[in-house]
This record gives sequence, C-alpha cells and structure tokens, in this order.
Amino acid sequence: MNSQILKMIGSFVLLIIAQVLLFNQINIFGFINPMLYLLFLVMYPFDKNQTFYIFIGFILGFFIDFLSQTGGAHTIASLTVSYLRPIIIKYSYGLTSEKPKSLLTDPRKTNNFFFLLVFISIHHLIYFAIAYFSADAFLIIIKNSLFTIIFSLILILLISSLYKVE
Amino acid sequence: MQRILNVFVKYRNSILYLFLLSFSLFFLKANSSFHKLKLEKISLLFSSNLYSFSNSINRYFRLEKENQRLQKENEVLKSIQIKFNAPFLYTERYNNKTNFPFDVQKVNIIKNSFQSQRNYIIIDKGAASGIRREMGVISAKGIIGLVQAVTDNYASVISILNQDIKINVRFKNRTAFGSLIWKGKIPKKFSIEDVVSTSSIKKGDTIVTGGMSSYFPYGIPLGVVTNLENNIQNGYYKIDAELFENPSELYKAYVIENSDFNEINSLMQNLKQ
Repeated sequence: MNSQILKMIGSFVLLIIAQVLLFNQINIFGFINPMLYLLFLVMYPFDKNQTFYIFIGFILGFFIDFLSQTGGAHTIASLTVSYLRPIIIKYSYGLTSEKPKSLLTDPRKTNNFFFLLVFISIHHLIYFAIAYFSADAFLIIIKNSLFTIIFSLILILLISSLYKVE
Repeated sequence: MQRILNVFVKYRNSILYLFLLSFSLFFLKANSSFHKLKLEKISLLFSSNLYSFSNSINRYFRLEKENQRLQKENEVLKSIQIKFNAPFLYTERYNNKTNFPFDVQKVNIIKNSFQSQRNYIIIDKGAASGIRREMGVISAKGIIGLVQAVTDNYASVISILNQDIKINVRFKNRTAFGSLIWKGKIPKKFSIEDVVSTSSIKKGDTIVTGGMSSYFPYGIPLGVVTNLENNIQNGYYKIDAELFENPSELYKAYVIENSDFNEINSLMQNLKQ
C-alpha cells in the first residue's frame, strides 16, 4: 500500500519534470508539444475518491503552469477534465456489471483507447481554447488541438504500455 | 442544518471544481495581461447588461423627479425662446440688462374643458405665486388663454376655446395681422378675421402672436393657415387656421408675466377717460 503511494508521488514528480524540461521543448513540426503529464491523470485508479482526484488534477495543472510560465491554461484544462472523468468513464466503458478499476488493468482495449481519446481531446481543446482565448483563432485552436491530440495519444499509449501490470 | 450539510456532501465534487476553477481563473488573470484584457471584456459585457437593466428600473422610479427637473429646465428655455422670437423688438436697452419684460412660470392645468362654447381652465398656482389677472398663459406649441380670476393658490383662465376671446395674430414673415377666434366645436379649428384683402397671404403660412397686447410677446408660433378665401365684397379675407397643439389635451402650461403690465395699463386707463 505504502509503496503504491510512493510510486504515485514518484511518477507525479517525474511526469512534471519530464513535461516541463523535455516535452515542452520538443516542438514537433514547429508547434506540437505532446502533453505527457496527462498520463498521471488517466492511469490514476478509477475507483479512488473523486474529490481528492479533482484536487490532484488541479495541483498537477498548477505545477505545470507554474513551471512552464503559461498563465493558467493547464490548470483549467486538467481540472475540468478530472472533474469530468467519471462521466467519460461511464460513456467509454458503458454500464456493465464489471466496473473498470484502472486503465492499466482493464482488458477491454477498444474501450481503453476510446477513453484515452475522449479524455485527451477534451483536455487539449480546453487548453488551446484558453491559450488562444479568441473566437477569431477558432481554426488555429482546432488545428493545434488535433495534431497535439495525435501525438499525446501515441506517447501516452506507448508509455502506459511500459507500466508493469500487477 | 443537516440537510444543508447533506447537500454539500452530495455536490462536494462540483463545489470543489467550481471553487478551484474560479481560483485558476484568478490565477490566469493575474499571470497573463492578454487574458486579463479578454476576461475584463467579457465581464464588462455582462456587467453592462446588468447595469443597463438595473438602470432602466431605477429610471422608472426616478421619473417623477426627472419630470420636475425637465419642467424647470423647460421653464428657463421657454423664457429664452419667447424672447428670441423677435430680437428686433426687444433689443438691449441703454444702461439696463434687457428691456424684454416677459417672464414665464410653469403651472399645472388641473381642470380643462372643451365641450361648451365658453371654456375655462383652472391652474394650480395663484396670487401666492405672483399670478395676477390678465396674464397670458402659453403651452409648449401655442397659447392657451388669459388669467381671469385669481385666488391664493389657484387661478381660472379663459381658454382660447372661448368665443368671447380674440387674440391678436400676425403671419410669420408678412406684415398682415388679424384676430384669431375659435369657431366652436373642434378644438384645433380656428378662423382669422379682420385681415385686409390687399395683404398677401398664402395657404400654409405660420400664424404667430402679434405682440399688440400686454398679454403675449411678439412671435409665439400658434398654427398654420389651412384655407383662405378672398372676399372682395367686404374687403376682408376669410381664413381658416389650425393650431399646432390641441388646447384641450394639455396638462402643463406657462404663465407669462409682463413686468411692464401696470405701466401699459395706466396708459390705457388714461385713454379711456
């Protein structure tokens, strides 16, 4: 139990550092910076306390914003997406008797993928909408989120497959 | 209390979310001047709508006060207007500010009639406010009548809707003059008599007060000529006129005070003797 919490804290810190120092500087094709830190939010166990989870989403976004000097867009996006996570889970996995416990342990691959896609899409759309914050930039918002979603999705799928499933 | 706590526990996630969201919005506003500007624009949009709504309600309750203020302003403007109708008549007098003797005072009409052939009006100011007999009473777009009897707080006015009263009138930009008399029946329809048929008058000419009395200054616009016939047999025009304003539909009026009234009146008395 204790080692699980330590692992959580460790990956929390590691993801923030990786995001700020590495993935915010990648600039694929000049503008794409995949957001790996969402990995923490998606692999956090589904059956834990939701109130605490919202708080974690807020803290995570806050640290990313704080360290990468980006107003408050990460905070609002990750806060909103962590608030919406139970709803996304409900719609991705359907109403089954077998409630999903965690993204890593659930065997339903299609549902896992759909959950990731929706989760990341909502996050990225909110993030870019707040970063540009103007109706004139609608097309730029859509374009940026679309490309960044693809790269974030690939990266998160890859790295989550490296986690050891117990 | 228990129920309130239950609600809090039930919606704790949403409450926490909204709380943290507002916190992060403040964070966003504090960190980025671009977002600050944008958010202020949005808040301005909301607040301006809200304020204009509350302002429209407030305005409704201030109407009475606003009305009184406007009346006061109108009183001042009216006194200026009647002076500037004929600046050539009332030029600056030597050693004196002005020789324009007329001043206006606003009154409310509390009773008005138009059904009979000799109509009277009651106004809500009297001797206590300086109203005297034979003062002229005008409205926004014309004249109403002459003060007939005065008590302390009220005065009765002979309406121009009275076949006993004749008003001395002229035609704007023309030299002819005549007398305005009510035809009876319809409040706006008047006839003008005593206009010599040699004078040139056209349909549509504006009628103004003639200034040949101590009651009204020269040049208050009253109405227009609607119809005229040249009666060659007796040498006078037969003119129909229509007033700008229906005297029976008024609630506010101005009493004109002529400060030279006594002087003129004493001369008239001398002539009569």
